[in-house]
Amino acid sequence: MKKWKIIFTAILLMVVMAACSSENQSNGNAEGNLEPDVITAWAWDPLFNIAALELAEKRYDQVDEDFQLEIIENAQKDIVQKLNTGLSSGTLNGMPNIVLIEDYRAQSFLQAYPDAFYDISEYINIDDFADYKKAPTSFDGKQYGLPFDTGVTGLYLRTDYLEEAGYTPEDLTNITWDEFIEVGKDIVDKTGKSMISLNPNDPDHLRHMIQTTGQWFTKEDGETIDIAGNEAVKQALQVYKTMLEEGIAKTNSDWSSRLADFNSGKVVSVATGNWMTPSIKAEESQSGKWTVVPIPRLSVDGAVNASNLGGSSLYVLNIPGKEKAAEFLASTFGSDNDFYEELVTEVGAIGTYLPALDGEAFNQTDEFFANQTVTADLVEWMKEIPNVNYGMHTYAIMDIFTGELQNYRSGKDIDEVLNDAQQQAEAQLN
Amino acid sequence: MGLKLNRSIIGWFFASLSILLISMFYFYPMLQALILSFKSGMGANLEFTGLDNYVRLFNDPVAMIALRNTFIYLIFQVPFMILLAMFFSVLLNNPNLKFRGFFRTAIFLPSVISLVAYSVIFKYLFSTEGIVNDFLLKLSIISEPIEWLMDPFWAKVLIIIAITWRWTGYNMIFYLAGLQNVDKSIYEAAKIDGANSIQQFFYITIPMLKPIILFTAITSTIGTLQLFDEPMNITGGGPGNETLTISQYIYNISFEYTPDFGYAAAVSFIIVILTVVFSIIQFKIGGEKD
Repeated sequence: MKKWKIIFTAILLMVVMAACSSENQSNGNAEGNLEPDVITAWAWDPLFNIAALELAEKRYDQVDEDFQLEIIENAQKDIVQKLNTGLSSGTLNGMPNIVLIEDYRAQSFLQAYPDAFYDISEYINIDDFADYKKAPTSFDGKQYGLPFDTGVTGLYLRTDYLEEAGYTPEDLTNITWDEFIEVGKDIVDKTGKSMISLNPNDPDHLRHMIQTTGQWFTKEDGETIDIAGNEAVKQALQVYKTMLEEGIAKTNSDWSSRLADFNSGKVVSVATGNWMTPSIKAEESQSGKWTVVPIPRLSVDGAVNASNLGGSSLYVLNIPGKEKAAEFLASTFGSDNDFYEELVTEVGAIGTYLPALDGEAFNQTDEFFANQTVTADLVEWMKEIPNVNYGMHTYAIMDIFTGELQNYRSGKDIDEVLNDAQQQAEAQLN
Repeated sequence: MGLKLNRSIIGWFFASLSILLISMFYFYPMLQALILSFKSGMGANLEFTGLDNYVRLFNDPVAMIALRNTFIYLIFQVPFMILLAMFFSVLLNNPNLKFRGFFRTAIFLPSVISLVAYSVIFKYLFSTEGIVNDFLLKLSIISEPIEWLMDPFWAKVLIIIAITWRWTGYNMIFYLAGLQNVDKSIYEAAKIDGANSIQQFFYITIPMLKPIILFTAITSTIGTLQLFDEPMNITGGGPGNETLTISQYIYNISFEYTPDFGYAAAVSFIIVILTVVFSIIQFKIGGEKD
């Protein structure tokens, strides 16, 4: 009897080992140096990022006729999740050659998976791109990301509502958030509309408010938590709470109700990244009633009326086909002025490639914004965005803040809120 | 000897298939997860840190909030749902009731609906300008719309309403099956002795259903401890972290933030430990001695 048990165990072991070794073999094959015929790319938003990649592929046909790009559309959340599961498993099986990553998240990937990305310093000249894009896209002196779209922010205003309340857009140009609240109260009184729509569960306004001061939740190294005693963070929270308490802000609970708030004319202003432009323009009946002015700043020394919200960059993974992929990106996103002009006219995406930004296409007037040269204005503001190292914990810290914002609104002292947030962040992120 | 040996080989052969598969797909991953929970680091850079993850867990305020929320769901939702399920099953077991089949199906139907689909619909029904607020306003039950998704209290209530709606019918089916096995002569004897229907419910139905109550209580407890889809899709864990559950926190650590799979594994072992502890408690309280 005993013998049989031993034999049985031996067989079981052999089967398990066989399973393991065959796994190793398949890894070996996948990581061989066979260059693929088709370069794959993962991106989100068919009207924006994917349209840009398609445009790039079309233009690249002139350089390399045989080049084939397969663009796979995934929601941003899914890309983040797939990258994390894929890269942490150690095999790069099934990973794309090119992937789009949001700037806030980039460091998290670059530092967590240092060998997974391909250094493209040789292919592009990083000084050609907007300064504030450098910190998020590079790591350890190497340039991994090709800076793509800008998240330059603007304050979108309904001019007809302003007029009704006796104001002009100039009254809201280059102001502080405190002034915004003051003016806002009056406009709300006179028009019965809300000044702005906020989602306290996703307080992304805090991020662009804080960046106007050139500070962040962390110090320049991107790691040392800098919340307690950080004047910028404190003011941003105070402004946020005041807007909700003074009744100038209405709340929304998700993205679609946020869009509905301005499309249906319930709010006077939208303070956000320029990628919102297509959604604002989606409501054609409001054509001519909108204008864009620089984003308000915090009342902190050195704060400017320019900030960033979101924006992403393209990365090449360290797998076969990387040279091909990097060459493709370099000769389109990395150097092609005409490509960027076509991009802004056809897709409405503003890149961060500086040499292209003086082109004709960027000085077009836009009927929807009462013939304002919106793109040129945004580009001007983009050049002033303070350079901030987002570090790798932006979203983890934002979640802590969302929780503490809730406590702050229900009466907790602001300094206590900041101290608690600091402690939580330190405990969670060391 | 020959026949005996032959039999035992065949026996081992049949057993080996399931042992092999269970080992490969259950025990091996569990063991790996346990080992993982002693490591920490970002993404692929994991290092052994001993018990650090567990120490960190007990000092992590967000984990504690997630644990607190999960307990709130557990304490209010599970007993409420079980009583409701029992109530419905007794009603629907009444042989004089017309359209019994229709009512049974109607109450059971929510449990065949996809978790994500119903969560998304609940989110819209209960939004500030949603149909539920409209309804309550029109009936003058409330004077101002309830901020279901924005208010810490109402958000929890909403999650409890949602899971109760989804799972009551599922549990009811077990009670219905249980009730059909209760001997009718017991009720007849009780009636002769002059017991009214409330007494019958408490002194006959509940004791007779004890094993099923235990079973549903344990499965519901486990389900609540693993609660993920509803808070993820309805409230996103908000407002703040007020509806965050442990499972959602594990997801956040792994996929929302810079991933730390070691810590995530440590947090998930808390669910394992809690499940075991609760099951033991429930067996001790409700279990029979045999």
